[in-house]
Amino acid sequence: MSKSYLEAGETHCAIGHPKSVFWQWMLTIDHKRIGLMYAAVIFTFFFVAVFVALTMRIELFAPGAQILDGDTFNQAFTLHGVIMIFLFIIPGVPAVFGNIVMPLMIGAKDVSFPRLNWFTFWLYIFGALIALSSLWTGEGFADTGWTFYAPYSLNTNTNVITTLVAAFVLGMASILTGLNFLVTIHRLRAPGMDFFKMPLFVWGIYATAWIQLLATPVVGITLVLAILEKVFGIGIFDPSKGGDPVLFEHLFWIYSHPAVYLMILPAFGIMSEIIPTFSRREVFGYRTIALSSASIAGIGYLVWGHHLFTSGMSDLAKTIFSFLTFFVAIPTGIKFYDWVATMYKGQIHMTTPMLWALGTMVTFVIGGLTGVTIAMIGADIHLQDTYYTVAHFHYAMLGGVVFLLFAGLHYWFPLMFGRMYNEKHAKRAFWFNFIGFNMLWFPMFIAGYLGMPRRYFDYLPEFQIYHQISFFGALVFITGLIYMFTVLISAIKKGEKVGPNHWNATTLEWHLPSAPPPLENHSKVPYVDFRPYEYHHGDPVVKFNYETMQRID
Amino acid sequence: MSHEEHGHEYVPEIATARDGKQYEVQGWQGDFYGGKLGFWLFMLTEVMMFGAMFLTLTYYFSLHHDDFIEASSEFSVLLGGTNTVVLLISALTMGLGLLKMRAGDVKGAKLMIYATMILALVFLAIKGVEWTEDYHDGVFLGLPALQAGNPDSRPLGEILFFGMYFTMTGLHGFHIILGIGLMLWLLKRINAGKVTPEHHILHFNIALYWDLVHLIWVFVFPYFYMIGAGHGH
Amino acid sequence: MDINTYKAQKSGYYKILGGLLLLTAVTLIQPYMFLENATFGIQLMIGAVKAWLIVMYYMHLKGETLIGWTVGFALALVIFFFAVVMTDVHHFQFKDISYISEQHVSAGEHTQHHEE
Repeated sequence: MSKSYLEAGETHCAIGHPKSVFWQWMLTIDHKRIGLMYAAVIFTFFFVAVFVALTMRIELFAPGAQILDGDTFNQAFTLHGVIMIFLFIIPGVPAVFGNIVMPLMIGAKDVSFPRLNWFTFWLYIFGALIALSSLWTGEGFADTGWTFYAPYSLNTNTNVITTLVAAFVLGMASILTGLNFLVTIHRLRAPGMDFFKMPLFVWGIYATAWIQLLATPVVGITLVLAILEKVFGIGIFDPSKGGDPVLFEHLFWIYSHPAVYLMILPAFGIMSEIIPTFSRREVFGYRTIALSSASIAGIGYLVWGHHLFTSGMSDLAKTIFSFLTFFVAIPTGIKFYDWVATMYKGQIHMTTPMLWALGTMVTFVIGGLTGVTIAMIGADIHLQDTYYTVAHFHYAMLGGVVFLLFAGLHYWFPLMFGRMYNEKHAKRAFWFNFIGFNMLWFPMFIAGYLGMPRRYFDYLPEFQIYHQISFFGALVFITGLIYMFTVLISAIKKGEKVGPNHWNATTLEWHLPSAPPPLENHSKVPYVDFRPYEYHHGDPVVKFNYETMQRID
Repeated sequence: MSHEEHGHEYVPEIATARDGKQYEVQGWQGDFYGGKLGFWLFMLTEVMMFGAMFLTLTYYFSLHHDDFIEASSEFSVLLGGTNTVVLLISALTMGLGLLKMRAGDVKGAKLMIYATMILALVFLAIKGVEWTEDYHDGVFLGLPALQAGNPDSRPLGEILFFGMYFTMTGLHGFHIILGIGLMLWLLKRINAGKVTPEHHILHFNIALYWDLVHLIWVFVFPYFYMIGAGHGH
Repeated sequence: MDINTYKAQKSGYYKILGGLLLLTAVTLIQPYMFLENATFGIQLMIGAVKAWLIVMYYMHLKGETLIGWTVGFALALVIFFFAVVMTDVHHFQFKDISYISEQHVSAGEHTQHHEE
């Protein structure tokens, strides 16, 4: 029996061979350990941002000032946005499961550049520290919103520069993650595994990596230009000095719109793993799901302008962008139909990951379709910067990306720790989350449609009812979150021990010699001459001898 | 690249198919093509970054056309042109160094790297002369001429032009300095026997980097120095 | 690498150098010699030719399929960004009431520059 990667000494390090367990973790270049450390950090930040959001919800419980003043409120939603976007959801799925699972899925021993991976993790931590440092220095955290729109961001005295530097450093970490994954997927696939034999999660990571690589530098340099503008006042982005704030918005969204596909694509990948596994059927339309990931990534680059419909863009550009935006819905729709068709006549096992995946199907469809409504210029003029947009965004991101991240957490938990959580409690936690989530966000569609603007600290009395329903939804949701993490964390030490393939799944990460996996993954690299989700009458087709990793079916 | 070439401890694994056929597994260790691919991807991020800066520049060129031409005509084509040629020759020496390394002439390769470094320093020195002159003429980031709203102010378009000039040549200069640092590191690795004719991915990638730095200048130079050339002064 | 390939490649490097120097010379004299009204376009076109030579021969992109595609993809994106953003600027329909012009923000006595 091989030793687990979690045991002391079972790691390669970037520098030397430290004796202490602490330094073994700090210097580890093992992709699984790095993924776990990312998970620990990003979920910590997630909870910080959740509680910032709760503070805002309490403030909005009634009109007028309750516990925050207006300026602090501005800083609060900026802090919430910056943490959630740059520290949580952009690293999100790729940093955690891209690291832990992707190399296992393609039969690799590690990523292509393990030392770079280690450096990237610490670069991310460094960027996070810069962002947090601005909380307690100078005039306090930035109050611009996470979008840093010029010219306000150029004029405010809060710590915008620190936050911009932090976003730049975090962007570099994101680029390097993407670069590492691209080379890994191109170079380290097991012999025989061509692109159309890869699991769909790997396709999601691949498409995402291209966005991380090519879109992030654009926002990086935009932030640098904004910093220079703040320091030297040469007029870039400042309309009173001959610059154009619309250019800032162009450059900002050239990255930040593809960034939402960067978040959702690997999450869709998780969905594409869970659905066939628990339907015990080969995925329907493998190629269409794979290629739709690629085309979402491609089209995603061409649609950023729909964020600028009310910003003073030319009418011609508005029309072009509105037209192009609708095309994103096509590959997304293809994916959804494929998933539903996969379940058709399958033997559906209602496990916790499956429950999360199905819940996401409901929430993401709402998030996605409301997105199509605001891609229409006319409707968008009414709905831009209202709670409708806020609700759309959270349905798509929280109800899409984060729900699927949770689904993945439940799906790969037995793989990562070799133990199983209590499914009864985990399912109960799901229902708290699902109900709380809908109660929290759905009223905002209505409030927004009726004219409640986003980022406002006060409101007219007629909106009170919606804010109050949201508040109680938030309480239920947070209860669910705490419940869920308690169930998972307690299972790390106390859960029931399980074997390497707890779900009876087919992809390579479930064909490891032990659970948790050993340091260098598979006992031998297999030769891949099979498709990733082959089931026959509900049983996996491909079977291995785990000593030699040769097929024995 | 085959793995026997640098023959350290790493031995590639073999995967066996059902019919008994054996396939060599590509590991992350000693993957020359992987290293090359990774570096090209990194260079694409530089392309996107400078691409966005050129987009900004072009945007303002279209808004402040005449100011840009006017400001550009103030630059010395002589100094900028000399720098262009210096960088061009340094790209050659870098390439020849790599050729020599691959042909087994380590000593010749080192000489070429030294030559490249000297040319890089010449480039920086000329750039320094230009910036100093600009500073004495009052045209520099933070000086009144490049701040809107005072009696010495240049027109807004010119402020933007010079602002972008210092930003972009500054960023390019930063890449040159980084390149010199990388070459010093490369020399250290060659001396330590870590970079050899059989295992020269580091040399290969640094040569690529230097070409990229040259490539950026190929566009920076005409955009700032030449668009207003021949327009009086 | 045997001595003949080495020599062949070395002479290749010098040939490209010659081409690049020639193009640089054209760059330097063009604004004073010919097509003075199209300087910007000509300069960038020469730049593009130089860049092509450098990428293909000095950076050995010739013959690289995968890397060639990635470079092409990145360039296509940059071109798309340029095309759309510049189209937007040129079709902006509120130029007359825009504040991004010099007559609204007096910057001293240099206001004689504005167009139209």
